[in-house]
Amino acid sequence: MAEFSTRKGFNIRLSGPPSDELKIVEGSGETAVYPQEFAGIKPRLLVKEGDSVKRGSPLYLDKKSPDLRFCSPAAGKVRAIEYGPRRSIQKIGIDIARSQRTEEFSAFEPASLRTAARDRILEVLTTSGYLAYIVERPFSRIANPAVSPKSIFVNAMDTAPFHTDICMAISGHEAAFQAGLHALGRLTDGLVHLVLPGGRKDLSKALTGAEGVEIHRASGPHPAGNTSFHIHNIDPIIPGDVVWTIRADDLIQVGRLLLEGKLPADRVVALGGPGVSNGGACHYRVPNGAPVHRILDGNLSDGEKRVINGDIMGGTQIAADGHLPFRCSGLTIIAEDPSRHFMGWAGPGLGRFSASRAYLSWWLAQGKSWDLGTSQNGSLRSMVLTGLYDKYMPMNIMVDYLVRAVLANDTDEAIQLGILETDPADFALCAFACPSKMDVVGIVRKGLDMIEEEGI
Amino acid sequence: MRFLLEKMEESKHLFEPGGKLEKLYPLYEANDTFLFTPGDTTHSSPHVRDSVDLKRVMITVVVALLPCLLFGIYNVGHQYNEVNQLARNGFAWDMIMGCRFVLPIILVSYAVGGMWEVLFCVVRKHEINEGFLVTGMLFPLTLPPTIPLWQVAVGMSFGIVIGKEIFGGTGFNILNPALTARAFLFFAYPGDIIGDKVWTVMKEGATTIEGFTGATPLGITALVPVGENATVALREAGFTLSSMFHGLEGGSIGETAMIPVLIGAAILLITGVGSWRIMVGGVIGLLVMGYCLNALPAERFIGTTQLPAYYHLVIGGFGFGIVFMATDPVSAAATSKGKWIYGILIGVLVVLIRVANPAYPGGVMLSILFMNVMAPTIDHFVLRAHIRKREAHLRKFSYAKG
Repeated sequence: MAEFSTRKGFNIRLSGPPSDELKIVEGSGETAVYPQEFAGIKPRLLVKEGDSVKRGSPLYLDKKSPDLRFCSPAAGKVRAIEYGPRRSIQKIGIDIARSQRTEEFSAFEPASLRTAARDRILEVLTTSGYLAYIVERPFSRIANPAVSPKSIFVNAMDTAPFHTDICMAISGHEAAFQAGLHALGRLTDGLVHLVLPGGRKDLSKALTGAEGVEIHRASGPHPAGNTSFHIHNIDPIIPGDVVWTIRADDLIQVGRLLLEGKLPADRVVALGGPGVSNGGACHYRVPNGAPVHRILDGNLSDGEKRVINGDIMGGTQIAADGHLPFRCSGLTIIAEDPSRHFMGWAGPGLGRFSASRAYLSWWLAQGKSWDLGTSQNGSLRSMVLTGLYDKYMPMNIMVDYLVRAVLANDTDEAIQLGILETDPADFALCAFACPSKMDVVGIVRKGLDMIEEEGI
Repeated sequence: MRFLLEKMEESKHLFEPGGKLEKLYPLYEANDTFLFTPGDTTHSSPHVRDSVDLKRVMITVVVALLPCLLFGIYNVGHQYNEVNQLARNGFAWDMIMGCRFVLPIILVSYAVGGMWEVLFCVVRKHEINEGFLVTGMLFPLTLPPTIPLWQVAVGMSFGIVIGKEIFGGTGFNILNPALTARAFLFFAYPGDIIGDKVWTVMKEGATTIEGFTGATPLGITALVPVGENATVALREAGFTLSSMFHGLEGGSIGETAMIPVLIGAAILLITGVGSWRIMVGGVIGLLVMGYCLNALPAERFIGTTQLPAYYHLVIGGFGFGIVFMATDPVSAAATSKGKWIYGILIGVLVVLIRVANPAYPGGVMLSILFMNVMAPTIDHFVLRAHIRKREAHLRKFSYAKG
């Protein structure tokens, strides 16, 4: 048990947080999967249009690691396979059948998971594709089952707006969560670390009383909730190390699979953000892979909106007419905002949100929550090394110089400066605050890609 | 405003690739984003961005400089009216005469600086950087009010082209462009920027006020012989600590008084635009070096060594330099520890140059430029130390792992 905190960082006070209300959403007649959700895999199709599939039937595999199969979230018939440039598979659409036949995987007794063989657990995870919930560091790829990680980190806290509240997701699935933790314990020779939000009193017993893991408490402004910060403080990544990470709400899915021997049908997803109209910002129990509009319908305010899977800092944009992705930890809706304001750089700026003190809003609107949109609030300028980024980096990393090393293609220096300890999303706050509007996240991602290609 | 926005959008095609005025796109972009915030949206995470952009940062610095500018205008007019014993005295006349001498310098500085900035942006095809708004204001404030306008133009050209653009433009320059410009004039045309005659505008034919020599406090302390008291020499010439603090005296336009500098410093620190580490470091370095020299035996060293250390704070351009020049993020050290070292060494050097080499009263300018050159080296060593510390920290974990 360790407690650690930081004062570096910044909480973005976005309006429209999801409430604790839980609504049930029924699925519709179709679903789809998007292989491009997983960076770094090379998909090979295992089905063709017209094939019947069960919930849990493999749809495609990863050519680089052929044991790893990705499965259908529902039973039905493959309707259409859409290809993108260079015949990359964009989307596999499935018409859902009335009767939900399910593929059977090995099921485990809760007690047997404490002692189950690593290979048996891994076999279930790879053949079901649920291994994709486990992300490997460095490089943030799907975990490689051939490697035994030095430790596994379970993240049960979020500091960026908005994600599914872990207590909402865990309610009713306490046993599955604990089963997932026991299974993780069998996957590593090291420890499993569960990181909970410090200072929060209403946490579920399943979290505070979790067995077989080291429980830690982290606190501070965003990005204190990022797994990189936890790893950095508990068991830092040394070049050559491999660490696995998983979100706590994803671990519930894994636990349900292991206990029941079939893919779980649903999960809890939060909807929030300034683009959500009154009452819509809450939690939803939705079928896995359900169309996004099933949640959004009737809940959005007027105007063009951006739908983000995850939070505004590290999330990815998804199509409003698409389907819930595999790793879905909440939807955040903000307005697309290309509006232009007269002499926006002048004036006291009471209505402008900023992490800096350059606008009066910092002084006069401290507790206010903000309807932020997608405006970049300025145009791209040359990078200036100011040390500003370091204010938003709670790890012992000098961001300016890391960015500079990547821009100079100096991967050795980037590694020395700690790039392997990070995920691009850790730099989202630096990019947010940057007055030159640098794409810090993209630069770090490029650096990690470069190092992965070259080898450490 | 909608009308204006529509007009801008309408003419945009002229400046886009293939348009008639394609080459002038940077100029269009500068005007367009000056009038209206750009409509760019984020493409990937983070999906929202802070309201502060480089324009806001630079405008904040210009606002912080305004007290110095206004006081400078008043002071130049006041000195002119008083020294030449003109009948038209009083605040309004002081301001009017001040504007008469100062505004042309500012206008030339902005016009020439802006011209070079646009030219390079057009040739290089990148956006006009707002940094020249600051440079164009900083440079005139470091000049004596008697400076010939052609020298302003030449100096500014040197500062922008040699000081900044040949390195690749904003963000890549090693030296502060405004100080580079001043240093160029300082060495190329010393007769117009050093000495006793340049700090106050004289009127031909007018009789000067009794006892006026035109000497600045720095000029006086530089001449104090061994064994004599610099403070007394200053007092005899009419300079006390408080008079130098208030700054109603001859000098470069923006740097004579401390109160406007302190207001500017407050604006920079409150908004977080200027680095407090550099400012505090500079003051510490200056006081420590000053007190060290004070400790030398008075009978063996020149009188300046005995000038109380805190005098150095208000004499000459130290306040202005450390607040506005040293904190330029491009040419200063970038690491937190580096900023401390950089600031402290500037303070130390200012005193050293003033005392040890009285031929160069512009000690502040030279020490900041020298530390600009040293800043990347300081950062290099801070970075190496950081990497060593990181590795030592990580090694602890690999040992624990066995």
